[in-house]
Amino acid sequence: MSKMSLSTRMIFVLTLITVLSGGILAGWDMVTQPKIEFHRQEALKAAIGDVLPAHDSYQTQKTEFGSIYIGRRDSISDPVGIAFMAVGSGFQGELRIMVGLTPDMTQLTGIKVLEQIETPGLGTKIVVDPSNKQDPYWFPAQFKGLHISPEIVVIKNAKPTHNNEIQGITGATISSKAVTRLLNEQITDIKTAWTALGGTE
Amino acid sequence: MSYFLLFFSAAIVNNFVLSYFLGICPFVGVSKRVSSAVSMGMAVTFVMLITAVVTWLIYHLILVPFKVEILEYVSFILVIASLVQLVEMFIRKMSKPLYDTLGIYLPLITTNCAILGLALFSVLRDYAFWESVVFGLGAGAGFTLALVIMAGIREELELAPIPKYFQGAGITMIVAGGLALAFMGFAGMI
Amino acid sequence: MSSSLSLKAEFIKGLWKENPVMASLLGLCPTLAVTNASMNGLAMGLATTFVLLSSSLMISALRNFIPHQVRIAGYIVIIATFVTVADRFLAAYFPAISATLGPYIPLIVVNCIILGRQEAFSSRNGIGRSLLDSLGMGVGFIMVLVVLGSIRELLGSGSIFGFAILGDWFTPWMVMILPPGAFLTLGILIALANWYNDPSRSKARKVVS
Repeated sequence: MSKMSLSTRMIFVLTLITVLSGGILAGWDMVTQPKIEFHRQEALKAAIGDVLPAHDSYQTQKTEFGSIYIGRRDSISDPVGIAFMAVGSGFQGELRIMVGLTPDMTQLTGIKVLEQIETPGLGTKIVVDPSNKQDPYWFPAQFKGLHISPEIVVIKNAKPTHNNEIQGITGATISSKAVTRLLNEQITDIKTAWTALGGTE
Repeated sequence: MSYFLLFFSAAIVNNFVLSYFLGICPFVGVSKRVSSAVSMGMAVTFVMLITAVVTWLIYHLILVPFKVEILEYVSFILVIASLVQLVEMFIRKMSKPLYDTLGIYLPLITTNCAILGLALFSVLRDYAFWESVVFGLGAGAGFTLALVIMAGIREELELAPIPKYFQGAGITMIVAGGLALAFMGFAGMI
Repeated sequence: MSSSLSLKAEFIKGLWKENPVMASLLGLCPTLAVTNASMNGLAMGLATTFVLLSSSLMISALRNFIPHQVRIAGYIVIIATFVTVADRFLAAYFPAISATLGPYIPLIVVNCIILGRQEAFSSRNGIGRSLLDSLGMGVGFIMVLVVLGSIRELLGSGSIFGFAILGDWFTPWMVMILPPGAFLTLGILIALANWYNDPSRSKARKVVS
């Protein structure tokens, strides 16, 4: 070692460390990558399963507005519902919501908020409301069967009277409206994409 | 998201220091004087801007095409460390006054989590090139803002009768808590 | 350059006297960011300790081999490698924790505790001593994160490690699990530690007793 010049030794040692590091990581990547991919697929499958009506399988279709997932039953040829991921800004940060639609694109079949950084205890009720013991999922549940035309509307402090209305969360109007705004905007895009694909089949 | 909103969100609403807790070490260490806080803020903003550009290029032109995303952390931190050294050498050669103001803060920046955090968030949120640059600028501006406000308060605090056991880090944390609370008022503006 | 402390003292010092967070104010980013629940604090503490131990092992073994001029570059490559290992491990086997901690796991790379221990200790001491030192620092770090996480979770959600402690009568203090709560709680903990460590106080106590 001591016979080498300092700069050669520096390069030699750093290269050795980097090669070692690359080797360890390449091996570790092979071990963990399939598991990570598996969890990702499972999470996607679970989310689609939550927002679409009972289906046996789904097929992923890439469009200019992102992927759409078409749920199918084995027994019937028509799809049972279309799901897509709505992404946009909420009260404080990004929201990612899996949205399910009927194949004719008139009603929602369900929504599931997958990622959010809303205010704990207020905005987070868009996912689950622990203060409502009887029905903690009352907010997302309202979206099942909701009509989307002309657009989804948030009603403050009152029960909805029309089939396109939902009740907002007290103290978290912005979070409630962020969800509906995201849906209204992106459902329009998905409608366009779905029509381009051959529409309701 | 428009560039303005992105900038505003990174600088104020989701301030790196006060809501993501990135760059807390310099926030506690270099916030005793407003003048040094401004210099540190400028140095960090400058490095953030370069980091945003370089790490974006590395991730999208090298790591993704060669399918070696697993090397993300190793390559980012190496690049940041080398960048900081290069910037330091460059400033020392180019401008003596600038080196005197920024120079001593540059080595501290390598282990500033705000820089690596910036690169990681950019990848995580899938920012396009210009988005990532604007995000870097906004994060730097937000860091500078938080640091300067904190330094202003600490200059005043020197004259205040702080309870004995809260002196130093204790009161800094409490003040930062108050600041974080104030910055939460901006939530909902984006 | 070997340290003169006994092996036991090498471990003990990280727990309180030279505690990385309370005494040296290192690693504040993760300390504040992930402690909105006890479990998150524990997971972050364990991940950091793993990186600390494995980097120390590697660096103390290679300490006479790495040229002084490029040691920092070598250290950060080694640290970043083990951080990637930890990050992928969590993503593969504990996806829920990995999703909660998000980018704060890769940020262990720039946790000053780790680079600090390599520079101050592992690069100058043998493998055994370095491991003990790292273990002490790691356990000290875990303790602070779990205590901070438990206080914030208790006051902010009424539970510890997810088990409800406070009943329905308790209205959770939302601010505790938000960023300001992290700063306030740590500020008060640091003040308490200062009070506990105050030599004049312990002297007074001895006189009284």
